[in-house]
Amino acid sequence: MAYIELRNVSKSFGVGKDRTQVLSNINLEIEEGEFVAIVGFTGSGKTTLINLISGLLMPDEGEVLFKGEPVTGPSHERGVIFQNYSLLPWLNVRNNVGMAVKEAFKKMTRSGRKKRVEEYVEMVNLSPAINKLPKELSGGMRQRVSVTRALSMSPDVILMDEPLSALDALTRGNLQQEILKIWNKDKKTALLITNDVDEGILMADRIIPLKPGPKATLGPEYKINLERPRDKTALNHNEEYKKLRNSIIEYLIQIGEQRASKKENIYTLPDIKPVIKPTPFGRLNFG
Amino acid sequence: MTAMTIMSCGGEKKKQIAASDSADNTSSKLLIEKPQLTFGFIKLTDMAPLAIAKEKGFFEDEGLFVSVEAQSNWKNVLDRVIDGQLDGSHMLAGQPIAAGAGFGRQAELITAFSMDLNGNGITVSNDVWSKMKPNVPVGEDGKPIHPISAKALKSVIDSYKNDGKPFKMGMVFPVSTHNYEIRYWLAAAGINPGMYSKDNIQGQIDADVLLSVTPPPQMPATLEAGTIYGYCVGEPWNQQAVFKGIGVPVTTNYDIWKNNPEKVFVMTKKFVEQYPNTATAVTKALIRAGKWLDAPGNRKEAVKILSMPEYVGADEVVLANSMTGTFEFEKGDKREMPDFNVFYRYHATYPFYSDGIWFLTQMRRWGQIPDSKPADWYHSKIKEIYRPDIWTKAANLLVEEGHLEASELPKTDGYKPATKDFIDGKVYDAKDPLGYINSFNIGNKEAKAEVSSIQ
Amino acid sequence: MKDRSIHILNFVGLSFFEPAIRLASGEEVKKNLIALFKKVFLPILSVGLFLILWHSGATYLYNIEKDARIEKALNDRGEAAALEMKTCIESGDISCQPNTLPSPSQVWEAYKSLLADHRVITQKKVAFAEKVAVTNAQREAQGLVPIKYTGRPSFVDQILTSLKTVFAGFLLAFLIAVPIGVMLGLSTTLRSSVNWLIQIFKPVSPVVWLLLVFMIVKTLTRNSDSDSSFIISFISVGLCSMWATLVNTSMGVSSVDKDYINVAKVLQLNVGQKVFKIILPSSFPLIFTGLRITLSVAWMVLIAIELLAQSPGLGSFVWEEFQNGANDSNSKIIVAMFVIGIIGFLLDRIMLTIQKFVTFTEETA
Repeated sequence: MAYIELRNVSKSFGVGKDRTQVLSNINLEIEEGEFVAIVGFTGSGKTTLINLISGLLMPDEGEVLFKGEPVTGPSHERGVIFQNYSLLPWLNVRNNVGMAVKEAFKKMTRSGRKKRVEEYVEMVNLSPAINKLPKELSGGMRQRVSVTRALSMSPDVILMDEPLSALDALTRGNLQQEILKIWNKDKKTALLITNDVDEGILMADRIIPLKPGPKATLGPEYKINLERPRDKTALNHNEEYKKLRNSIIEYLIQIGEQRASKKENIYTLPDIKPVIKPTPFGRLNFG
Repeated sequence: MTAMTIMSCGGEKKKQIAASDSADNTSSKLLIEKPQLTFGFIKLTDMAPLAIAKEKGFFEDEGLFVSVEAQSNWKNVLDRVIDGQLDGSHMLAGQPIAAGAGFGRQAELITAFSMDLNGNGITVSNDVWSKMKPNVPVGEDGKPIHPISAKALKSVIDSYKNDGKPFKMGMVFPVSTHNYEIRYWLAAAGINPGMYSKDNIQGQIDADVLLSVTPPPQMPATLEAGTIYGYCVGEPWNQQAVFKGIGVPVTTNYDIWKNNPEKVFVMTKKFVEQYPNTATAVTKALIRAGKWLDAPGNRKEAVKILSMPEYVGADEVVLANSMTGTFEFEKGDKREMPDFNVFYRYHATYPFYSDGIWFLTQMRRWGQIPDSKPADWYHSKIKEIYRPDIWTKAANLLVEEGHLEASELPKTDGYKPATKDFIDGKVYDAKDPLGYINSFNIGNKEAKAEVSSIQ
Repeated sequence: MKDRSIHILNFVGLSFFEPAIRLASGEEVKKNLIALFKKVFLPILSVGLFLILWHSGATYLYNIEKDARIEKALNDRGEAAALEMKTCIESGDISCQPNTLPSPSQVWEAYKSLLADHRVITQKKVAFAEKVAVTNAQREAQGLVPIKYTGRPSFVDQILTSLKTVFAGFLLAFLIAVPIGVMLGLSTTLRSSVNWLIQIFKPVSPVVWLLLVFMIVKTLTRNSDSDSSFIISFISVGLCSMWATLVNTSMGVSSVDKDYINVAKVLQLNVGQKVFKIILPSSFPLIFTGLRITLSVAWMVLIAIELLAQSPGLGSFVWEEFQNGANDSNSKIIVAMFVIGIIGFLLDRIMLTIQKFVTFTEETA
């Protein structure tokens, strides 16, 4: 039995005529300790998928199982790192993390909690900024706080909803390494949602593309058998990596064209030629 | 301002002296149940007994600590006394009577102190006066001969009517002396001021002149705005019109009814029963204030006190005009009127039943009392409201203390003798209220069969 | 130190001091001189211009009144009377002064006389306290309420009374509007079910609120002798002014960022924690905007309410002076007008400062 299992899950939003099925017939199994990445276009229902697993949303059809039990709501066992950090702007770093620690470890003493908060903030190198408000921090620092908040609750699973998509390339790279470093320590089960194929290949054991919604379903999965720790620069010369990357991108472009051609039937596009910059590392910037 | 400061300092010293006097013999005084009191008043010169009793320390002599508060209008005064927010107030003589007789808000109010005689005037706008003036006979000195009858106004009213403008005048309250006086003045000249009925309490049925209510201090402003063409009000609001140049007083209520009762001091029956000694002490202080006001040479000081912003607040020169025995009609036409404001002489402070009954007869005459009442009703009703017993008790104590001569107490059964001191020369005998009501051309009549008199 | 004081001044909304401080420390002289000119000199100039306009307007009105009086005397009573009137007016005798808009200098005089009056009344209060000291000691021994000062309140007392009323009303508005606003914000059902009531009551005028409160309080305080005018006026002020806070609170609570709600869910906060740790803090900016409006509305309606409720304060001061119609009454009314305006301005600044404290607007770091 898988650690996390989604069976024939469908989810729709809206009422009556406006009702659209976002996710359709999703089947997914994640084993304990596995790092899975789901790659897809913006608006393909990735966040919905994460919310279903975290318990923030309930499926219309099918079921979501965690350790064999149906998910009925959010739980401290499944930590979530949100796309837009979702830090509480009126609390400083210490209190943002502290709030989570307090909820997850209700029986812990005040000083014990304080120690844990400081320890986790130190882990992401934010100790100097521990008394600052979110608005005083850069985007990368904020996401680190968000990561710390999720990890400080000591969850069994980490669910990451495009955690790095809003950051610049350099910060992004650093944070990828940092998250991997932390993950490496106790190899918790992790699910990463991303729009960056390279990020997926770098971090995950398995990549599954999500076909764009409405009625999004999962595509064929790609196993990544590259050895850890993976080095970004070294990977660029790795043949297996190149092959894997090309086939995933090809698949994504193919389903992307399908979506585009579908759209053309409905909308008249303005007569403007898009300027497409060459994408280094083959990053797909659909979002 | 300087004058006021000096004045208040002077008042302060006297008060302190008075207070130290009273401190010695407090034990011999009445036991005061409620020493801290709040009284209301409307900004009119006839509130003077309250201001004097406070400023000259008469209240404190009795062990009373009194705050006085200006009120916005007579309705408010009545409500606040009935609801107990005020312990007592300066009121229109008609108010406690109407409350007892059932016109307007009903309540058990009593009066043990009549505040003053006379003091009202009728003022018309400059335009009305210029049209009225040719109808008024002129004396040898070139000035109009007083009293001016409303007959001079009749043609003006007709010309306004022909222009399609209803002739509107202001009075201060439906049961105020002013309402009855202006009605008396108009009706004596054959002008119908309008009747009240059970269903119509506007008092404008069949009216030649539409009378409406305006609070006294707002009279000059309302006249200036052209909402009304004239008004009947107490001082200083007639003199104010002369000073501001917006209107001309044509007659005073001294001419309409010589030495008519004007304002009374009212407390609730409940208060008087609950705090009988306090009520007597208040009456004592007020009688002394009345006496002080009519003592020669005190009026100038009284004017200064009244011009303080917490009392009447109008300029001294305005207040002085009527308070010091003169009255200015047209600008420059200043006449001697020694009895215009009487606070003590002619037993002014004593609550005569006959004065109260006059108001009842006028309420019946104009339909505020819609149904016929037997003569007995007039006598028994007024005895519930007018309480000369409290006045007498207070006056006797003052005699004992040496503030009053025994001769200053009237020897009366509460009824003044019949009088014909009215502008139309009609005889008023309080013992025959029904006969009096029937003697008028305009107004309700009582059936002959019911006419009876107590002899 | 310099930067700190500038920061504080800007924070409380007194930013016009900034160039002066910078100039004093010799920093960027030209730039700060221009800033000083814009922020300090121009406002002073506009005040000066206003005073000149006011003065000339008042003089113009005075002359109209004066000429009308002289002409009237001439028409009614001939040349001698007209001349007499003219000399009388020019001599400054108050028995014939034209009554119109007072000039700035008259208002200044009235202001000084009100202050002098306040000093006199303060002395009187002390004297009164000494005088009743013995009586009050006796009364206290008997368990009775001590005798209170019976004289007239001074202008300064009136201001304090007004502030007391406005704060009591504001507190009431706060205590009613915030909890109800939170409840309405949390429940769509509740919100839609009382929306009509709110929309109907919101525009009701202060006068009507006063009468409504009067009807209720009068009955409730039936058996007490105490003066209920303070209760009536502060409740009316509260009811008139609470709507902005009520609407803003319910809007703030109902529009809390979905992300924060998700955080609350993931952290598995209970309802109380959710309200106090997530929903309330995140709606603070809107709630305080509402409270700021509430305070300024409260101050605005206070004058009208005091006037009608016969409760002491600036409103009744204005009304009494209007009724007095004395020579300096108009000037005193205008003094009160400025005092009301300036206090309103200061109250708004205080609220603005508090609002800045609780607001966490995202700034790009």
